[in-house]
Amino acid sequence: MLRQTKSRTNREDEGAALATLVETIEDLSMARNIDQVAAVIRSAARRITGADGVTFVLRDGETCWYLDEDAIGPLWKGQRFPLTACISGWAMLNGETAVIGDIYADPRIPHEAYRPTFVKSLVMTPVRLKNPIAAIGAYWATQRQPTEAEVMKLQVMARATAVALENAALYASLTEALERRKFLLRELDHRCKNTLAQVQSIARQTLRTSRSPAEFTQAFEARVAALSRAHEQLTHEDWGRAHLGEILKVALAPYGGVDGVRILAEGPAVSLTPECALDMHMTLNELALNAAKHGSLAVDGGRVAVRWSVDLKSEPRRFDFEWREEGGPPVAPPTVAGFGRRLIERNMARDFDGEADLAFEPAGVRYHLTAPLSARVSLA
Amino acid sequence: MRIFVVEDEGLIALMIEDMLEDLGCQVAGSVSSVSQALGWLAGGGEFDGALLDVNLGGEHVFPIAEALAARGAPFAFTTGYGEIPDPRFAGAPILGKPIRREALEGVLKGFGLEG
Repeated sequence: MLRQTKSRTNREDEGAALATLVETIEDLSMARNIDQVAAVIRSAARRITGADGVTFVLRDGETCWYLDEDAIGPLWKGQRFPLTACISGWAMLNGETAVIGDIYADPRIPHEAYRPTFVKSLVMTPVRLKNPIAAIGAYWATQRQPTEAEVMKLQVMARATAVALENAALYASLTEALERRKFLLRELDHRCKNTLAQVQSIARQTLRTSRSPAEFTQAFEARVAALSRAHEQLTHEDWGRAHLGEILKVALAPYGGVDGVRILAEGPAVSLTPECALDMHMTLNELALNAAKHGSLAVDGGRVAVRWSVDLKSEPRRFDFEWREEGGPPVAPPTVAGFGRRLIERNMARDFDGEADLAFEPAGVRYHLTAPLSARVSLA
Repeated sequence: MRIFVVEDEGLIALMIEDMLEDLGCQVAGSVSSVSQALGWLAGGGEFDGALLDVNLGGEHVFPIAEALAARGAPFAFTTGYGEIPDPRFAGAPILGKPIRREALEGVLKGFGLEG
């Protein structure tokens, strides 16, 4: 009679534990982060295994991190141990479940860490068999060999936990990707509006200094093309710093390129902020366009020498940049200070925090920019 | 009205300066960074209002806005972003980019009223 009652109670207990296991697997499938996974295990693992305590341990580099626990007495919550100095580390390193009936008879157990606790026997099972990322431990206050059923239930829970942790990682990376996408769209919108403002500026200024629609169209298109080359190069550089040598190559490509004969470029490796790089592109375009129309690039045998240097001995240290035309037709000073001139003088001086000067010398056009070395322009 | 312009992109600064002159204002100063702007203010530059680009080469313009607010000088932000990412200045007028002449005119009128 007594025996019957006991076995029915056992069966009822078994049934309740299985129902809890199923619910736990469902709860784990809903967990969105490690904390939620830990919370599910903490609340259910003891009921499922019938143990006196459970721990949830994460692998963090070369240590085991006792993230959470539910037990009749304190265990190691919040503590970290080397992988090689605790049983959860052993389980993770070996990808095997440790089943220990008497912890003080087992050499894998760091006995000192267990003396202050109630633990006499345990099961420790890794989460994910290949490259374990965590472990779940079940502990008893009595010396006893854990049953096959107890071990299996803990292993089932560990497998569900492995999936839950994968889900959590996936969910985190998805959330991050969505955030990143939102951020990029916002940046794109901002950049578009900024570009439109640049085009707006070019249109206004070009219109002001054009004498006919045909002249406007030609100048406007050349400037928008220069802006487009600048953007293409800066996008290539992730809108970080750009090298002056590269800027010259790209900006002067439509005018025959830096070939070392007609167009010469010489100077140390210097880099510019995106804003200054854009200014430099626009400036080079103005100079080259003018040279191709009226200056040295308009005739055979004409040349342009672009030279820049950095003076490290002056205080503050200086950057000097020069565009010098040679072999062109005799130069007459222009009568109108058009947009181009404002762009390459006042604007360059302002943005480089220096001085810029365009001179129509009889031998050829000469443009000079001098500025202190700073974040705007620095040795690359 | 004398306007102080803080804008890190030369092309856009040129346009703002032109628009201001078209509207009968003077450009009191035009700079492209936070440090230049603080230097200009410390140098005793006189002005009746300021136009501040929010993002100056990756640096926020807010230290300038703070300095202007402290001295009660009116200012507006110029930006391609829809909103100002600093709650202290959420109420300040915003001049969207690209810049419309009428919108700039409205901002300048606001300066007059506040000043």
